[in-house]
Amino acid sequence: MDYEGPLIKNGKRVDGRAFDDLRQISIKAHVINEADGSAYIKWGNNKILVGVYGPKECLPKHIADPHKAVVRARYNMAPFAGKEGHGRSGPSRRSIEISKVVSDTFQNVILAEQFPRTMIEIFIDVLQSDGGTRCAAVTAASVALADAGIPMKDMVSAVAGGIIEDTLVLDLNYIEDSQGNADLAMAFTHRNKDVLLLQMEGDLPIDKFKELLKMGMDSTEYLYKIQKEALEEGYKNKPTESVVLDL
Amino acid sequence: MTEILDLLKKDVIDNMIKSGKREDGRGLDEYRPITLLKGVLNAGPDGSAMARLGKTQVLASVKFTIGAPYPDRPKQGVFITSAEFLPVASPEFESGPPRENAIELARVVDKGIRASEIIDIDSFFVEEGKVLTMFLDIYVLDHDGNLIDAAALASMGAITDTRLPKIEDGEIVWGEYDKPLDYKDVVTTSTFSKVDGKILLDADKNEETDASARMTVSFVKGNICALQKGLEGSFRAEEIEYIINKALEKSKDLKSIVLKA
Amino acid sequence: MNDEIKLPGDVLYDKPVQMPYGYIENGKTYTTVLGIKRKRLIPLKGPYDPKPGDLIIGVVSDVRFSGYNIFVNMPYDVSISSRGIRFDLDYNDIITAKISHVDEVKNITIDDVRRLRKGIVIKVPPVKVPRILGRNNSMISLIKDKTGCDIVVGNNGLVWISFHGNVELAVESIGKVVKEAHIPGLTNRMEQYLNKKKVN
Repeated sequence: MDYEGPLIKNGKRVDGRAFDDLRQISIKAHVINEADGSAYIKWGNNKILVGVYGPKECLPKHIADPHKAVVRARYNMAPFAGKEGHGRSGPSRRSIEISKVVSDTFQNVILAEQFPRTMIEIFIDVLQSDGGTRCAAVTAASVALADAGIPMKDMVSAVAGGIIEDTLVLDLNYIEDSQGNADLAMAFTHRNKDVLLLQMEGDLPIDKFKELLKMGMDSTEYLYKIQKEALEEGYKNKPTESVVLDL
Repeated sequence: MTEILDLLKKDVIDNMIKSGKREDGRGLDEYRPITLLKGVLNAGPDGSAMARLGKTQVLASVKFTIGAPYPDRPKQGVFITSAEFLPVASPEFESGPPRENAIELARVVDKGIRASEIIDIDSFFVEEGKVLTMFLDIYVLDHDGNLIDAAALASMGAITDTRLPKIEDGEIVWGEYDKPLDYKDVVTTSTFSKVDGKILLDADKNEETDASARMTVSFVKGNICALQKGLEGSFRAEEIEYIINKALEKSKDLKSIVLKA
Repeated sequence: MNDEIKLPGDVLYDKPVQMPYGYIENGKTYTTVLGIKRKRLIPLKGPYDPKPGDLIIGVVSDVRFSGYNIFVNMPYDVSISSRGIRFDLDYNDIITAKISHVDEVKNITIDDVRRLRKGIVIKVPPVKVPRILGRNNSMISLIKDKTGCDIVVGNNGLVWISFHGNVELAVESIGKVVKEAHIPGLTNRMEQYLNKKKVN
């Protein structure tokens, strides 16, 4: 489905958003009975399920660290998740790389030294993808970790930015992502705005990069509010039960 | 949030089943509450559904691509079923290629649908050397027992939700559709477990840990279209007869759940 | 009462306060876990953090030549030597023990090992244990009294319930405490609930 036509028209993007508007986002915490913590995020047409297990026995044993818990994320894209075609199951090089950068994002936010020799696993399953899945996944994983009661220094959220037709925009959808000039994925801690994940490909002048980073940083508050609502929803003045997972 | 420790479940379940009771109070031949939701994934798949049996949740997706036919059947489409136990769903599931259990699950569901011939794969011919491949993907999202029935139900939900993609010049036009997928009937699948000598329908995970044998029966148009006995234990002929009659009895309700969802 | 839910990273105090679930940075104290702020922070979820003196419940997971492995609801089982105890244990035997020592890598040493009778063990979130016990053990006494069960609550989130008494009601009651622990008025609610159930 190749989109033809302008990506920006009358100051609006293909789906009617302003340059710094994010897509519709909702998060539900506590959706998987068996997991220690979980979250389901709908971010535009992205639909992603995240489950957290641990601290648990570290397997394989040789990766155990005597001083802290090892944080391991596993990002998986369902073969039917894309708009086009049917992928193969099993990890691709892309998903292995994303797993790695997501693990690194959370390793130092989690107070891992409280759980030496153990492992904390973050499973990410993309059921439907529409651009920006890793950022949506990081935002949801932070909720799932909080839902699991894993001690963390801060909440983390992420968003992608890019340039389309010389204009800086946030949160590229699939069409924009495949036709834009640059794609910058960024994750920040909520309180200090520390950068935990940063990946870019494309063509990006330095001053534009700075501006885009600032735009991403500014979206942290908005994403934090959605994360907070998700966690409050599960607990505030009502019994804690698993929320039914509505895809 | 409070659950009996796995190590000790067997004793507790044994005691309950002996007295003809189940943990959640239902009869031995009753399903847990069933929900089937169609069209849950609107952007990726060509058809999708989620089935819930109590706390068990299984997602199914149908998606078409264009591929090459099998050399010995050049005019016939291809139907491929696969199942994955997502590690996100349970501490018992590990990531990596599907293990025996996931493969058995996919095969049991596949057999029911294939053998019933409810889908006409001969109609999937596109042009010389090109046919439609229909992928049925089963994703286990939450495991509280009886994955087979949940997967079979989700699969029928997805199939009856499926639209055939529009094809132009021998290629799929992504995001555009031709017409609903034609299906001849609904396959229904019921699984029974033998626990401490008693036969029970729709075992939950606790009950499954204590089951010695398992029997799955699929029906279409009042006839058996697939059978699968599982686990190490055995059944007596009269037990099998009971199971088949019960499965037939349940097939009416299951069919109407698929058609009404 | 309008409870305030705190997320990891939210400010608790504008000064440094040494406290469980707290994190001090630049002279301020932040919460590290999801919790409710009342007089102190009450965590809503979280793994078990062993401390010397804790009473824990365990289940024998392996019998070896010289001792046993005990499942204690932690990432690693605990090994004990058979020399330390005066009786034999078997698979799935249930024990209580005291934690005598926790080392820097969270290995625990236990003593005062006692065997419990046959019964069931349920898992509860360790952070809810104080609520299940209640002030001066008032909650657990209430549940024991109304159900006729013997119950031992381990700090490690395992609860043993004897087979005699109304086991189902005991499991349900503990489940209710876990689900409603963070809602004010718990003790009254539990009393009403158990009295009503007992009449039925």
